[in-house]
Amino acid sequence: MQTPPFIISEIHVPSQLKPRADNVVKLKAEIDKHNLTDMWDMILMLDYQVANVRELSSETREEFCCIISLLLKAFTK
Amino acid sequence: MFLALLTKDRTVFTELGTEAIEKGLADPQLSAFYESMMSSSGLVSEKLREHMPYLSLCSDKLEGNGPPPIFYVGRRSSQRHLFGEDWAMQQGQELRTPDPDLEEASAAAYRAALEERPYYGYARTSIHMEDKVVDIAFERLIIALRPSPKSDRRFCAYFGVIQDLQQL
Repeated sequence: MQTPPFIISEIHVPSQLKPRADNVVKLKAEIDKHNLTDMWDMILMLDYQVANVRELSSETREEFCCIISLLLKAFTK
Repeated sequence: MFLALLTKDRTVFTELGTEAIEKGLADPQLSAFYESMMSSSGLVSEKLREHMPYLSLCSDKLEGNGPPPIFYVGRRSSQRHLFGEDWAMQQGQELRTPDPDLEEASAAAYRAALEERPYYGYARTSIHMEDKVVDIAFERLIIALRPSPKSDRRFCAYFGVIQDLQQL
């Protein structure tokens, strides 16, 4: 079996963090696309009391992402 | 007042009207939420923060016979207490209460809150869950809110208070 071409990255991101970070970015893009940014901000500010999702711990961010996934389903499906 | 309505033999979903809250007949925490939201004209403000743990939030999407799908279940909300942690954080599909009959019976109140004015009512019914059936009586207040003054989005905030809960 051939190994794929090796790509050098300057920033090392622990592999276990990559899916979570990707998930947040994807969810935010979907939220903006569906005009739900106000709802995202509201939940962050009122429930988690932060202005930016990066201020959340990884565990809390995961919980927030669950809520946002439900938000998207509730408004767009 | 509500004890008189606790008739076990039939399902009841009845609107009491927000006048009952204004007369001091409703649960104190529910009343505080109502007064707070009325003072901010149905717009989300900092005042909502203290009530968030007790709320369930759902969209404004009324389709078919059911209420709008839920997206947020407060940590101390009646729905989390009733249906459990796993239900509240489930993924994969729209979040709805687990009993289709309950969904259908409760839908009119959401329609009223979205199309007319805040809904305050009383319900008594049996709820069929995966592993059990419970007989429950509860007050519920549903208010349509906007996340910001310029937003064209609305959502429903549900404040439920369980008065009586018995496993059958």
